[in-house]
Amino acid sequence: MTKRFGDELALEGLDLTVREGEVYGFLGPNGAGKSTTINLLLDFIRPTAGGVTVFGRDAQEGSLEIRERTGILPEGIELYDRLTGRQHVEFAIESKAADDDADELLSRVGIADAADKKAGGYSKGMAQRLTLATALVGEPDLLILDEPSTGLDPNGAREMREIIREENRRGATVFFSSHVLGQVEAICDRVGILRDGELIAEDTIAGLEDAVPDRTRLRVRLDRIPEDSAAALSAVESIDGVSEVEAEGTTLVVSVADEAKTTVLRTIEEYDVTVEDFETDESSLEDLFVAYTAEEREVAP
Amino acid sequence: MSAIAVAKKDFRDAVRSRTLLALTALFGLFTVSGAYLASWAAEVLDGGAETTLDLIIALQTPAGYLVPIIALVVSYAAIAGERESGSLKFLLGLPHSRRDVVVGKILGRTGVVGVSILVGFAVGLIGLFAFVGSVLLVDYLGFTLVTLLFGLVYVCIGVGLSSMTRSTTKAAIGAFGLIVFFWFAWSILVQLLLYAVEGQFLLEEFPDWYVTLLSLSPDAAYGSALGAVLGESGLTMSGMYGSTDELPLAARPWFGFVVLGVWALVPLVIGILRFESIDL
Repeated sequence: MTKRFGDELALEGLDLTVREGEVYGFLGPNGAGKSTTINLLLDFIRPTAGGVTVFGRDAQEGSLEIRERTGILPEGIELYDRLTGRQHVEFAIESKAADDDADELLSRVGIADAADKKAGGYSKGMAQRLTLATALVGEPDLLILDEPSTGLDPNGAREMREIIREENRRGATVFFSSHVLGQVEAICDRVGILRDGELIAEDTIAGLEDAVPDRTRLRVRLDRIPEDSAAALSAVESIDGVSEVEAEGTTLVVSVADEAKTTVLRTIEEYDVTVEDFETDESSLEDLFVAYTAEEREVAP
Repeated sequence: MSAIAVAKKDFRDAVRSRTLLALTALFGLFTVSGAYLASWAAEVLDGGAETTLDLIIALQTPAGYLVPIIALVVSYAAIAGERESGSLKFLLGLPHSRRDVVVGKILGRTGVVGVSILVGFAVGLIGLFAFVGSVLLVDYLGFTLVTLLFGLVYVCIGVGLSSMTRSTTKAAIGAFGLIVFFWFAWSILVQLLLYAVEGQFLLEEFPDWYVTLLSLSPDAAYGSALGAVLGESGLTMSGMYGSTDELPLAARPWFGFVVLGVWALVPLVIGILRFESIDL
């Protein structure tokens, strides 16, 4: 489908399919067209060309039936300031003719004690949790979450992921957008990467990881800086498979092929220092993301 | 019923507005002053108590001015405000059709305006009992019902307006413009037209088209409908421009209900059609 706002092309020939029962991560920088796509799914806006189908129904014609079976967490949540958290959930329950218990849902998202507070006094994170609670009403077959971890602290983001996993296990299909890779990497079955309104990659997490060379960023913490640090650095740099070395005080960050990791550690220890700690930060997806979305994209040989 | 769920939610939300509280208090103040004036008029005119004139003085004048203001203030942001803030995505993320949202908003906000009218009129009723001594309760009831209808009409206009724009500022300007238009511009324009056609403002007998045009504003229709219910022609077109039988159709008291109906339905239908076609 294609969507234009006046002269501005928001989505160009976007073609993607989310399969029943999967968790689909929709990745892209801000402004790539993720929310536009979600707005089209929900019939908040209409495509300029092409069409959208949800549960086999046209998103425009069947919008009501689609929304009956879908839980939605829209971008940049705004709630009703003068209504309480419980009133919001009760409204969602009534709207969906569901028989959920509002308090149960509120405690599931961790804001049971704020149930009787007006949403106008909620923090961003609480508003996000409340909206998630309303999205869970009626055990939806599909969850559409636009940047669900916005406003949440790491703990909240983890709880959010846990709920997404539970819902997926129950049988719900999950479609969520994010510009935070860790979120997507942790729970998605498949990922689509959107840039400037175009889908530039779509694959499983494993498939995408295969698409970039096996690079690991190895962070090594030493007890002290080696006496002959220049020699140590160049020794590490000369190891086969190491592409980049950076020193940040007593920490060394080495971009290295997986099979050369142990050689790196052994080489460092030859310089009379002790490796206190090391971690591999396997952010290959992040590298991939940068590779795909950066303006000057370098194609690996 | 999806529209009912929207209406209930909307009522709960909007009835807590402070502006509404202030306007309702002002309305109560007006009706109480009106009741005082009515008792004074009763003495001067020696009409005694228990006339519908009391009600007209005590209730119609305040309601005629304040109900449109209250209704438009309560409704101008009903949809535009939610579009502007983004909460409309929460509302429409739930299974409500856009038509249900418009209808629900109208019902909810009419409920809010209704509460305001009932409070204002209750204060007026107390005032009438205090200053005049007695009240024709049946007429009072009729008065209340017609005024509720009048409030509904202006809510339809306000919500219709609200569904056409993303900007509450534009909706507010539109609402304010409408009040000015119905209060002043309408009759001035009709007068000017009369002058253009007849060459003068004062005539022995006014042409039918002139009386018809004057009768078509919602405010005039409110007066006509009240006249029909109360059997009192004091403030209707028939009172001013001749007896009922000689009047053009549009100026007859019962036709006020038709005019009110048109003023409710036209903005409602335009609002729904417009709202169904837009990108949020």
